[in-house]
Amino acid sequence: MKISGGNYLFPAILAIMGIFLLAGCTTDHRFVKKTAFKEADAIIIEFAGPVDEAWAGNASNFEVYEKPDPDIKLKIQKVTVSADRKTVILTFADALNKNQPHILTMHSISSEGKSMGTAILSVKKVYLGYLFSILIGAMIINNFVFTKYLGLCVFFGTSQKKSTAVGMGITFTIVIVVSAMMSWFLYDFVLQPFRLNFLQIVVFIGLVSLSVQAVDTILRKVNPLLFKAFGVYLVLVIANCIIIAVPLILADNQYNAFESLMLALGAGLGFLTALFLMSSVRERLELANVPPTYRGLPIAFVVAGLFALAFLGFSGMSIF
Amino acid sequence: MKEIIRITVGLTVSCLIAALVMGSVFVITDNAKKHNEHVNVQQTVLGLLGYTKSRPAPSDLRLYTIYRYIISDGDTSTLGYMLPVLKGDSVGYQLAVIDLDGQLVNQFKLGVTPEKASEPTERSAALKEVLKPPRTFVYADSTIIAKLGQRRLAYLLPGEFPGFKTFIDVMLALDPSFKIIGLEITEQEEDPGLGAEIKQDYFKNQFRGKSFEKLKALHVIKEPLPEEYKEYLERGKGRESPIPEGELEIIRSKYQDKDIYALTGATISSKAVTDGVKNMVTKFAYRITRLDSVITRQHIPVAF
Amino acid sequence: MPATTKTNFQLVSNGILDENPIFRLALSMCPAVGISTTVMNGLMLGTAVLFVQVFSSCTIAAIKNHIHPRIRIPTYTLTIATWVTVIDLVLAAYMPAAYKEMGIFVKLIVAFAIITMRLEIFACKNSVSASFWDGIGMGLGFMFGMVSLGLVRELLGMGTILGYDVLGFRPLLFFVLPAAGFFCVGIMMAMFNYIELVYNRKKRAKQV
Repeated sequence: MKISGGNYLFPAILAIMGIFLLAGCTTDHRFVKKTAFKEADAIIIEFAGPVDEAWAGNASNFEVYEKPDPDIKLKIQKVTVSADRKTVILTFADALNKNQPHILTMHSISSEGKSMGTAILSVKKVYLGYLFSILIGAMIINNFVFTKYLGLCVFFGTSQKKSTAVGMGITFTIVIVVSAMMSWFLYDFVLQPFRLNFLQIVVFIGLVSLSVQAVDTILRKVNPLLFKAFGVYLVLVIANCIIIAVPLILADNQYNAFESLMLALGAGLGFLTALFLMSSVRERLELANVPPTYRGLPIAFVVAGLFALAFLGFSGMSIF
Repeated sequence: MKEIIRITVGLTVSCLIAALVMGSVFVITDNAKKHNEHVNVQQTVLGLLGYTKSRPAPSDLRLYTIYRYIISDGDTSTLGYMLPVLKGDSVGYQLAVIDLDGQLVNQFKLGVTPEKASEPTERSAALKEVLKPPRTFVYADSTIIAKLGQRRLAYLLPGEFPGFKTFIDVMLALDPSFKIIGLEITEQEEDPGLGAEIKQDYFKNQFRGKSFEKLKALHVIKEPLPEEYKEYLERGKGRESPIPEGELEIIRSKYQDKDIYALTGATISSKAVTDGVKNMVTKFAYRITRLDSVITRQHIPVAF
Repeated sequence: MPATTKTNFQLVSNGILDENPIFRLALSMCPAVGISTTVMNGLMLGTAVLFVQVFSSCTIAAIKNHIHPRIRIPTYTLTIATWVTVIDLVLAAYMPAAYKEMGIFVKLIVAFAIITMRLEIFACKNSVSASFWDGIGMGLGFMFGMVSLGLVRELLGMGTILGYDVLGFRPLLFFVLPAAGFFCVGIMMAMFNYIELVYNRKKRAKQV
């Protein structure tokens, strides 16, 4: 099964990741190259040139506070300057709360006698890491089928054979990404500013139907072969709880565009993974000796329960 | 063509009717929701202070709420406190703008009553009248001060911090020396049977009586909860207390300065609550001390 | 399917036994697995589904002659979404604590296949009163399923029913976890199958 657009997909993803990495590489001040969290209680600052020992050794030249608490300055325990004087490490008395962006102010940076001005910078965790963690979170740690138990009707209906499972999974991923992006757009620019939050449900389900229609029409015209393979699953997508759960979650957590994209991708891929795993087992169950009352759905539920137990092992995991 | 027009008209009409139904239900339920929330907060506060139906609050108990905002003007930030002040016989609100070093910068009279001030939209409107653009303000948190007669009885802090699953909302009660009087978990979405046990007495009552000094160094120990401590924590649930009166004091002083015993199978939730409470109290203590010094220096006629 | 000839009582019992949404039709299983951790949750969600089902059925039955066939599905979806929003707002306002326990499952009622299917199969071809009773039957069937699951899971998992300590200890915390939801539904389905098998066997034995 070849996807013709696949040739452009991979380079596109690489390009997007490259942009993110680049954005995280530079800072707002011309003399400061990079700021980042280091271990549990330190911040590391890299300068473009060597800084004066006298200036760097004086902890009162540095001010750090958590972004939502500008009036509480964190206590710096010690300042370490590297041998080439281009790197400074600030160690704090208490562990840092890395989930909050920290604002770092450096007064009159002095390098080789010249003043480089005052720098006010934001130190936070790598954004790409955060996005990636949302993706992995939605896909494995909080797998929508096994951990959040959504989308079960369709799940049990299409997981009998590997081919149907994969087909359903891919169709679903496409529809959910499209509808999630549209939902985010409408939520951020129409529903929230006008305090029409209570119209969430109606609007989201409307968008889902619209996306299904859109994907249906586009697929029919663009790639009839693909349509023949996947078209029949499109109708089932609407009856899927996950498709409306994703917009509701992104509205609740107020994600921005990239985070919504990651959530939708994670949900879709997680669903695909779950379907694939389940269908592999069910194909073998067909050949097994199942008691008559358990044949069909009951044994499928028991298997799903075992998978859910296995996925429980991922709970609490956090990367980045 | 006629078909399409009929379809479109039919859809539009149905959409409008649906919107009408939902809109009216929303308006009706919104008021009920706000009222219920308010009642809930009142009950939690009274419960934390030790007042129940059988022991109602004395008539001279007053609750005053301070709202804290962060005001930004370009690159500089200042703190704005909405303070309840005495205006003759009634209580009004005043905005005190304090810079990051604890010095009073400005004072404004606000045209909002305490009842209306519990609504975020009313507060924003009142603040917009005195804080003109380019200054912007963002709501930070609020503090309820309970006053009995002339003295401050307790500080009540509603707060939110990340838990294991999503957020945990709590209401913390401190006495004037920042010792914890009580902790109530108002909202959580932790795992039932595991993390959700933080709302059980045998966890949250462990925080009761911890002094400010102990709190600053509070940790979570991964040991099972001793039986006698558990019985001590759960007493007063309507059941016969299995511990005789004399022993209560012994148990209390024995475990007074111990760290928090984690919940079985929910170490992360326990740690989240401990760290969250620690942060809340330390930050609050720092801020209220500065606010109090500004109030005394500037002779602001606050109601608390 | 032409307009039904069943009596009102038969409609209701049909929803509870013969065509029970959870155990027989295997629809709307998401909440059955996820939220049936306590009896209280089961009751609340059951009531919400009952409300939505009854009102949607009646609304569609009332306007069935005015719906253009091409926009059938969007109309059903719109009706269901409206009633779900209504019950969501009402529950959030008047029972906030219980509402929080159910998370987004109240909002998810809009995606339940059972309700749309019932509208498609029954409500658009029958009178308002028949749809009303059918709705009640389906809603009660759903509630019955949720409550029975909740009973088993709450009793075996936490030792309580509706919050009242019945057993005084916790047998197996496992039952409160989502994985157990799958197991319980599977086993209960098997039980229903078994009952049907035995019932059919008895019927055949009687006929012979």
